[in-house]
Amino acid sequence: MQLTLANHRITDLQFGTPARLDGTVLRVDTDILRRAVLEDKAFAAVEFEIVHPGESCRAGPIFDVIEPRAKAPDCGVNFPGILGAASTAGLGTTHVLSGAAVSILAEISPDLTRSATGRVLEMSGPPACASDYANLHHLLIVPRTQSELSRQAIEKAYRIAGLRVAVELARIAAVEAPESVNQFQPIGPAEIGREGLPRIAYVGQIFSRQRKPEVDEPILYGANTDGMLPVMLHPDEWLDGAIVPSLHSWFGGTETYFYQNHPIILDLYRRHHAREINFVGTIATIAGADNFDRDRHCQAAANLVKWNLRAEGAVLSKYGGGLPHADLAETARLLETMGIRTAVMVSDVSRDRRVESALLFNVPEVDAIVYNGGNGMRWELPRVERVLAATPQFLDLLSGPMTIDAPNVIGVTNQQGASRIRAMVY
Amino acid sequence: MRVAHYLNQFFGGIGAEEHAGNKLEVRDGAVGPGKLLESALGNASVALTFVCGDNYAVEHQDELTAGVLAKLRSANVDLFVAGPCFDAGRYGVAAGALCRAVQQELKIPVVTAMSEENPGVDLHRDAVYIIDSGTSIAKLRDVIFKMAALGNKFLTDSPIGLPHEEGYFRRGWLRDQLVEQKAATRLVDMLLAKMHGKRFESEMPATAFAPVPIPAAVKDLSKAKVMLITDGGLVPKGNPDRIEGTAATRWGSYSIAERDDLHGEEYEVSHGGYDTRFVQEDPDRLVPVDAMREMERRGVIGKLHDEFLSTCGRSNPLSNTRRLGREMAAKVKQAGVDAVILTST
Repeated sequence: MQLTLANHRITDLQFGTPARLDGTVLRVDTDILRRAVLEDKAFAAVEFEIVHPGESCRAGPIFDVIEPRAKAPDCGVNFPGILGAASTAGLGTTHVLSGAAVSILAEISPDLTRSATGRVLEMSGPPACASDYANLHHLLIVPRTQSELSRQAIEKAYRIAGLRVAVELARIAAVEAPESVNQFQPIGPAEIGREGLPRIAYVGQIFSRQRKPEVDEPILYGANTDGMLPVMLHPDEWLDGAIVPSLHSWFGGTETYFYQNHPIILDLYRRHHAREINFVGTIATIAGADNFDRDRHCQAAANLVKWNLRAEGAVLSKYGGGLPHADLAETARLLETMGIRTAVMVSDVSRDRRVESALLFNVPEVDAIVYNGGNGMRWELPRVERVLAATPQFLDLLSGPMTIDAPNVIGVTNQQGASRIRAMVY
Repeated sequence: MRVAHYLNQFFGGIGAEEHAGNKLEVRDGAVGPGKLLESALGNASVALTFVCGDNYAVEHQDELTAGVLAKLRSANVDLFVAGPCFDAGRYGVAAGALCRAVQQELKIPVVTAMSEENPGVDLHRDAVYIIDSGTSIAKLRDVIFKMAALGNKFLTDSPIGLPHEEGYFRRGWLRDQLVEQKAATRLVDMLLAKMHGKRFESEMPATAFAPVPIPAAVKDLSKAKVMLITDGGLVPKGNPDRIEGTAATRWGSYSIAERDDLHGEEYEVSHGGYDTRFVQEDPDRLVPVDAMREMERRGVIGKLHDEFLSTCGRSNPLSNTRRLGREMAAKVKQAGVDAVILTST
């Protein structure tokens, strides 16, 4: 397996016909995109907006951020198992509009107890400096779903519409020669020529069974992960559309863009290319619903790392809320007892900003912990020139001035490696 | 800028242990190490110095504090410095308590210094910046300069650095900071350092808690009054106590008298951290009144207490849960309960 990313750098998005890539300027035909969205009868209407880095603009709540990507002909299916057959992701060439994003707004608040505003895209000011998403040109989908749909049905419709539009957008560029090409070197447990380099694996949670997934909730190749055991994935599968976030993204979730640019996988690749390490592979796992579930997953994940990938070291990250910390620590503990060195990454759970509230486990073997922050950072946001939202209520709520917690600005916090906010101990 | 300084009888130049009973004295200007402090601070002068015997200080801490606060209220100072106390325990305890009070009551920034073993450190490190002085008085000059550097940051409203940068004892708090490297890079860096046997520092120290002693077994369960308590967020419909679904600050006590079985339509679940549908369907899955009634009938337990207690355990900081636990324990005691079953999710 070897993925090639054909990068088309985008410096501007504009509406216009016909849709085409003119140098680094992408012209977008909204009629084509509207048809793609309205194919799904869940939508009554849809509008599009474009926002740029540095613009005095606020939009929210954001349901998802997606990097526009499209598979080259005969290279496979875009988002396999969701937009098409569940064929293997990560093969051949994928065209990428780097510097651009498709983001879809939501008409519902993700979680009233924690964030009435949902996650907000803030394109200027200090919050923008802390979010990679503020550096992108966004095509914003402003949806209006049919009334009387369940929350689940609405979220699923958002997910699919976002992915479809992102693929449509990238297809415009796929006929052009890319500005640069990024080809990943082969990896795997049996890759020769890397003897003596430390053999490193990644173990990532892709769902937490704190909530039972819906029957039709697409997560891994379109499957909802119910009943799955840890599975070996090639890193290119993560990067190329095999995994999307669960639908309740507020539940310690993330964005599709995150997987497409998975920071841990890309960092391991960088060091693999620099011949610092031998990147032997990845395991996708889920956090258990109870102790039996947890033991099954943790042991299976550790066994795959030990016996199939034959790793000497592993990095681990988690999904979801508090409970998955237990799965993370137990998997790391098992690996350490098998002689595999580990480092783990946890999310910020200290709400009183005390160190004593910061960790949900105390396992002596798990002694290398990267700690994300976010619970202690907030901003005063001024009024901005442009507020974009899918409902009048959200337009009003986001008009400012307002106080916003860091986790409610999309792209600022992330529990799996994409954030630069760290909770420092003092 | 004006500084007030606190010293014990030894550093205040009165004398050694035989003067440890001396009462609080207030002097104008700098005394003893205060002169070095003044030169280290540069742009600030020590306006007044408090000197007190160590025994008097710890035996009359309240009077000492009141005396210092009263004087400071009219002294118009910008910074309060105590010590350095090195490993002098009574001195450290008094200095820490004074610093805490001055900071809290008068909102004047404070700096003190002690050695790690000084009991004043653990008593006050959570509230006060305490410079690590070590135990050697020969290092007085270095310590004073560290105290002055930190003091100057307060005087100029500059950001305070991390413990290893400023030399103070870790206070046990977190503050968010944007750092250069993303967490992903830090994670792989940490693993490689660990694998190569190099020094690495976990970003979060392990937290250890004092073990809770296991209480004596219930003598005769068949005569015992048993209570159910849950942190799974079960509340009567309408959530009368408004128990929050995250980081709850409240708990409730709900009657189950004459109930053999809980019905979903009479309850709701205030908890955002697990899939609550199964409890909503049948609340006995979380608060097992049905099973307990059965045991009551069969004589396995004496009596099921006619109220259950409930709160929500999601994402709750310890500063909060300690209070909730104490309040609940008092309620349990008052109810004359012999045993409690805690159910969680």
